[in-house]
Amino acid sequence: MQRLIVRRLLQMVVTIFVVSLIVFFMVRLRGDPISVMAPPTFSEEQIARLREAWGFDKPLIEQYTLFLSKAITGDFGQSIQARRPAMELVIERMGYTFYLAGVSSLIGLAIALPLGIVSALKRNSFLDLITSFFASLGTAMPSFWLGLMLIIVFSVNLRLLPAFGALEPAAIIMPSATLAVGMAARLSRITRSAMLEVLSQDYIRTAYSKGLNQRVVLTRHALRNALIPIVTIFGLQLGWLLGGSVVVESVFSWPGLGRLMIESINVRDITVVQAGLFWFALSFILINFAVDVVYTFIDPRITYR
Amino acid sequence: MHAKRFLKFIMVVLLLTLAVSVSLPALAQDEVSEFVFAHPGPIRTMDAPVTWFGSTHWLTNMLYDCLIWRAADGNGYVGQAAESWENIDPLTWRFHLREGLTFQNGEVLDAEAVKWNIDRVRTREDFLVYPQWQFISEVVVIDDRTLDVITGLPHPYFEYDVSFNGCQILPPDYLESVGEEEFARTPVGSGPYRLAEFTESDRYVFEAWDGYWGGAPEVDRVIYQVIPEASAQVAALLAGQVDMISAVPVPDRALVSGTEGLALATETSNRMAHFYLRVETETGAMAETFPGYEPATLDNNVRLAISHALDRTLLADVQGAAEPRLIRVCDYYPEGAIGQYASPEAVAAWYDPELARTLLTEAGYNLEGGAGPTVYIDSPTFQSGNDKEVAEVAAVMLQEVGFNVEVNVLDNAAYTEQISSGGNNRDMMLATLGCSPSLVPSFYRCNWVQANYNVCVEEWDALGGEILTTVDPEARLALWGEWWDFYMNYAQTITLYETDSVIGYNSAEFDFTPRKDGWFTFRELTPRS
Repeated sequence: MQRLIVRRLLQMVVTIFVVSLIVFFMVRLRGDPISVMAPPTFSEEQIARLREAWGFDKPLIEQYTLFLSKAITGDFGQSIQARRPAMELVIERMGYTFYLAGVSSLIGLAIALPLGIVSALKRNSFLDLITSFFASLGTAMPSFWLGLMLIIVFSVNLRLLPAFGALEPAAIIMPSATLAVGMAARLSRITRSAMLEVLSQDYIRTAYSKGLNQRVVLTRHALRNALIPIVTIFGLQLGWLLGGSVVVESVFSWPGLGRLMIESINVRDITVVQAGLFWFALSFILINFAVDVVYTFIDPRITYR
Repeated sequence: MHAKRFLKFIMVVLLLTLAVSVSLPALAQDEVSEFVFAHPGPIRTMDAPVTWFGSTHWLTNMLYDCLIWRAADGNGYVGQAAESWENIDPLTWRFHLREGLTFQNGEVLDAEAVKWNIDRVRTREDFLVYPQWQFISEVVVIDDRTLDVITGLPHPYFEYDVSFNGCQILPPDYLESVGEEEFARTPVGSGPYRLAEFTESDRYVFEAWDGYWGGAPEVDRVIYQVIPEASAQVAALLAGQVDMISAVPVPDRALVSGTEGLALATETSNRMAHFYLRVETETGAMAETFPGYEPATLDNNVRLAISHALDRTLLADVQGAAEPRLIRVCDYYPEGAIGQYASPEAVAAWYDPELARTLLTEAGYNLEGGAGPTVYIDSPTFQSGNDKEVAEVAAVMLQEVGFNVEVNVLDNAAYTEQISSGGNNRDMMLATLGCSPSLVPSFYRCNWVQANYNVCVEEWDALGGEILTTVDPEARLALWGEWWDFYMNYAQTITLYETDSVIGYNSAEFDFTPRKDGWFTFRELTPRS
């Protein structure tokens, strides 16, 4: 396990370096940030001076070296618009995104696992049909539309929940439910198919023939062996959520990373875009790493050489 | 842990969270009067002079005083830090400050502090407001409460420009002691509201400041909450969770006005929609993107034909809420709105499809043979109303007089990047812009080069320069008359309409009259008694 961790950490360093290259150059592919930032009252000469003041006049390689040397220490430069450190803004929003992603994932798991298991056990039953119908609906339903419908029902009509922001504890309910619906739909389908595959294996039949009750067979033998694809998909979903769900954050005015990124892209605040993208990539790498580690706990046969 | 027990535990935790969450808001209600405004965002820094964006200055105006400020009813100016002011010679404006002014941290606000702030905005090249403060050449402190602001040239729009973005007075000692970065986190102002707390570009909570020279404002707490989605804004208003939204979408207007306790208010926004027409091919990236392309609009007759072919009254209707206009003058500051192009009748009379056809024939196009000029219209989807629909209807109007038209509609962000800033506009681009009288003549001078256009007609250039330095109002108005003749007949910019703000607000709890300058700043807001 120690060797795995060390090797993965080294791989992460290389990946992060590649990510830093991609982030830096892709952000600049969109063109000169100063020309968009400057108001129409700026002359070409003044734009050039502004470009110089922000260091965008230097050769790209020089800009990248400076960016990388600072990024290593967590310094992504100052936000062009807010005049505060870019990473400070990202961290400020990251907490909200963590919270939303965490609650959504819990709800998603709490719905998906039981539904998937029951569907597999009662295959082709009416319950399985209903579950499949709602799973398809949950996958197909745009989160933008679902979010607005929840607002209309619970905020406008029933006046039970706040329509926006993250100020009140209850504000988490609708955005997390919106995200959880899609997640639960996808996870329940994966759980069902993984369970169906495992339940048809000989060792399950053997377990039943040994006289073990259904609860023990399901939890100790079936679910554990079905967990690999579930954990994989869950890890991917969580990675997306940690990057900030742009649509849901916009609909509910949730002050997360996704909204910050969209605003920063629109006003070409590239230092914030760089810091946010860097975090997004890092969170994906860390989750992949965590998923690999979890595999070894789920299935001791899995080893990494 | 057994899976079943674990799942039960999760369900109980979720249900408890839900129950506690729903009950908390009721317990948290307090007695202060609070007003919540749904800001479309984004909001930039509270270090006001750094930024140029008006919607950020809606907030900074709560926090900081300027020397003088535009009156809410559009009728001249009111003193803020300045008690009175006078033009003592063609180049010098003398300001007398109020007695005993301080910033919210107790720092004294005197003439030296004002000088420090004006010098900051006119000398810091990294500030986006920098170009607009170059009309000031020197600030001289006479005594603690008196200072002279000296302009390089006579400046007829001095009061307008000195109350423009960047006019906010910040505490010099505090800012220098904590540095600009920390100041952006913990700003201190001189206005009627303190910034109590904020999350960058999300939520800004302002609380009434008792120490303000004019007394504490009537509403105790004003909150700017960023809600980017228009439909989410409407839902929040209907749910009673915000008290005002700045732009009610057309389909929701009846619903908002029909809801008890809510009302609609309409006011001109100080934003105007125009078509910018290509009169040259050198600016921007057009020559590289469309090599060899020669816009039909290089011909003055074609441009005039476009101008006469457009029914501005109909286009204003299509936009949703707008007033048709021929010239680039807003309702708030009607300077220069004189002569044959200023009246509503003139708008109707200018629409002349027959004349448009004649002009195209004179330009050498055989309309009978279906060989009219081809023009491209670039338009954003939705910037200030139904922009896309306006472009499509304009295309039909042009087709009716013989043009072949292709409409290129882009998402707002892509439009800004590729067309407005990128300079890939071909014949016509839809642009929604301001209409400051001190800037409009500058836009059409030879030294003014944008990515998407450059206009250089020597006689017109000289006329613009003369307007900006002519202090005598009558002489200046006469110059404006000549200037508009050029504007209409050169037809590089075809003004369509001035957009209206259709505001939805909580009329049960607040008395509200929209500001004539289109700003959403709430110093004058009063709770309904």
